[in-house]
Amino acid sequence: MRIVLDAVTKQFGAVKAIDDVTLEIVDGELLALLGPSGCGKTTTLFAICGIHRIDSGRILFGDLEVSGLPPQRRSVGVVFQSFALYPHMSVSENIGFPLQVRKESKAEIERKVDEVADLVHIRELLERRPAQLSGGQQQRVAIARAIVRRPDILLLDEPLANLDAKLRLEMRSELRRLQKETGITAVIVTHDQVEAMSMSDRIVIMDDGRILQIGTPDEMYHRPSNKFVAGFIGNPPISFADGKVEDGRFVTEGLDFDLPDRIKKASVTAGQNITLGVRPEYLQPDFATPIEAEITFIENQGREALYDLTLAGGHVFRSIQSGEPICKLGDKIRWGIDADASFFFDDQGKRI
Amino acid sequence: MRHQSDRLGLAFLTPALIFVVLFFLSPVVLTAVFSFTTMSTATGISGGTYRITPSAVRSAAEKGLNPATAERLSQERYTIDDDALTRATKAGIDAEILKELERDLKGKSTDDRRSFERLLKKLDNRPNRRQVKSISPHFRTSILNQSFEDRTTLDATLENLGLDAAERARVAETSYTGWIWTSANFRRMFLQPDTYRILINTIVYVFTTLVIFNTGYAMVLAIVTFYLPGRQATVYRTIWFLPRITPPVIYVLLWKWLAWDTGFISTITGWFGVASRNWMLDTSLNAWVFVVLINGFVGASMGMIIFSSAIKTIPESLFHASAVDGAYRWQQVRHIILPQLRWPILFLTTYQTLSLLSSFELIFLATNGGPGSATEVWSLAAFHLALSNYAGNLQYGLGAAFALILVLIGITASLFYLRLFKFSEMISKPRIEH
Ligand SMILES: Nc1ncnc2c1ncn2[C@@H]1O[C@H](COP(=O)(O)OP(=O)(O)O)[C@@H](O)[C@H]1O
Ligand SMILES: [Mg+2]
Repeated sequence: MRIVLDAVTKQFGAVKAIDDVTLEIVDGELLALLGPSGCGKTTTLFAICGIHRIDSGRILFGDLEVSGLPPQRRSVGVVFQSFALYPHMSVSENIGFPLQVRKESKAEIERKVDEVADLVHIRELLERRPAQLSGGQQQRVAIARAIVRRPDILLLDEPLANLDAKLRLEMRSELRRLQKETGITAVIVTHDQVEAMSMSDRIVIMDDGRILQIGTPDEMYHRPSNKFVAGFIGNPPISFADGKVEDGRFVTEGLDFDLPDRIKKASVTAGQNITLGVRPEYLQPDFATPIEAEITFIENQGREALYDLTLAGGHVFRSIQSGEPICKLGDKIRWGIDADASFFFDDQGKRI
Repeated sequence: MRHQSDRLGLAFLTPALIFVVLFFLSPVVLTAVFSFTTMSTATGISGGTYRITPSAVRSAAEKGLNPATAERLSQERYTIDDDALTRATKAGIDAEILKELERDLKGKSTDDRRSFERLLKKLDNRPNRRQVKSISPHFRTSILNQSFEDRTTLDATLENLGLDAAERARVAETSYTGWIWTSANFRRMFLQPDTYRILINTIVYVFTTLVIFNTGYAMVLAIVTFYLPGRQATVYRTIWFLPRITPPVIYVLLWKWLAWDTGFISTITGWFGVASRNWMLDTSLNAWVFVVLINGFVGASMGMIIFSSAIKTIPESLFHASAVDGAYRWQQVRHIILPQLRWPILFLTTYQTLSLLSSFELIFLATNGGPGSATEVWSLAAFHLALSNYAGNLQYGLGAAFALILVLIGITASLFYLRLFKFSEMISKPRIEH
């Protein structure tokens, strides 16, 4: 089911947790809400499912406005960050709870619980209590409870944050499989960009209650709308260097090169403050725009190596290259940047 | 090293141990001791003497003393023996007469004055009427209303009167004015019909107060205040807490003022032509309603606090989860809150049962067991018997027996509850997981 947030605002006292957010989530898509801690992701999720009443704006499910409806009357399944399983109920009672409060028959409940338990592979855990389950198992139970009554919408609040690294990888694809199989419209909240990039159809990046950019993972990575998004997406992260425009060139201490044509064509004026952003893969030994620096850090990850390059002016750039390290700490090197693939941001942080 | 730390532990425990012994163990032990005595105002709590009072003789007779013997004890006797002769000599009675008495009639005794005086008149010395009257009092002996400091002197005297050992023991028993060891208190307690009335009163009192207020209403308050907005909830909680922090005397006085025949209720109902009356003591039912209300309002606040804090420990996410799962408030109460209150409910039931059983100050202040003894409960009965009796004879022993039963019920109930709730588990493992 399509979800529309139209100019939604939610305040807690003086804090604007959601600030004029407008967003359309397409039927059947998996959307990731990505942003640093405290940016309003959970609040957005709670506004969609009705736990929080919004202060202004509208929320629509399909064509139906639900802003005034209590959570009980919105058909939304939620997987909470802490899983929020009922500690005094068995796994099957937990999963069956949404059906039980709707007064469905015992047989019906049992059938649906078994069915969904098969879907998330927890058939053999049904008699246990939540306290007797591992983190991953608890999460499956939480998902089962959220989808057992076939809601129109599934919301997941940092569902992988409480899992260990290996399980997180497994659950990522598992969740994606489930969402595809059920065709449910899903919103997943995360502060982990890798998670967002690898699972979702589209990503919404939030900061301070506002949406900074909406787009596919690919767009996010290659066409970030501003410095914040560029910095947030990508691992290892992008390197920035503040500089000035002089004579169609980017100038900063230790670096000076001709701006690409597309930047020159955009209205940049001489003397304007501008920030360069270079992703680690666009700084390589044989790239065109030369950069002279000293190697101040090397991290050998086996399949690839990470280098920190410190320029004469103190700016630090990062490079990632496949294979074993090709130089030593303290080496003076002369490598190159792909200026065409690099980003430039104005003094407001907007990408030029 | 280990030894030293053991000693250190003991040192830290000492104040607590002293307290336990002084203020818990010793009262319990003394109660047990007293309950097996006949202590009362009449006996005092130290020893007593043997007083052959008419009533002591009568009760000895009731307990099987030979009626003839009893008769003899209550009668006066006139005996011519050395003691009496000495007394008479000292009083300046004619020596000739006394000499003749000693020579001819020594050892003789009569059961009444007339026969004794007849004896005197037959003497050779022929005392005149006036002399006879002055002589006879010195020869009168009566055991009646005499006190004996100990059993030996009593026995000697009784033996003189010709009582055998069994009879002597019987008289000693009934004439003793001090307390003695006995199990009669318990026999009396079980035989008195009043006891069963008091028992039923106690059960009714504890059960209704506990169910209606201390747990039931407390839970309603806790749940209602949980769903109320913050400030309203605080105001509400504070109001319900007032009875607990008001001094009991003032608190009960307010209730009395409410119920007096010139009080609030009477004034209001007076407007509608209802005759004014003391609503609290008017009928037993009224008295019970007030007793339960007075205790319940105090008890409810404690339950409210315990339940409120238990509800607060339920993670908010459980309420969020149940709301999106479709559970409305009542279903949340039933499926989320109540199951999590199981332990607080059990704890509160235990605690309040015991405290309702043992505390009587509010009833004492409000109805003092009345009207009649309609609201007399066990602990109040113990108090009345032992420490506050209309008749003026405080029956320490019987009161202690009542109190001891309470102590036993308390200890049994505690042990039972501790086992039932597996108290050790309760304090070692959190019941609510996050
Ligand atoms: N119930 C609440 N009461 C007051 N402030 C809140 C509440 N929930 C969230 N906030 C505030 O709103 C902002 C956004 O919070 P949240 O949506 O939880 O962030 P995120 O999930 O992205 O970490 C934060 O500043 C947080 O302190
Ligand atoms: Mg959050």
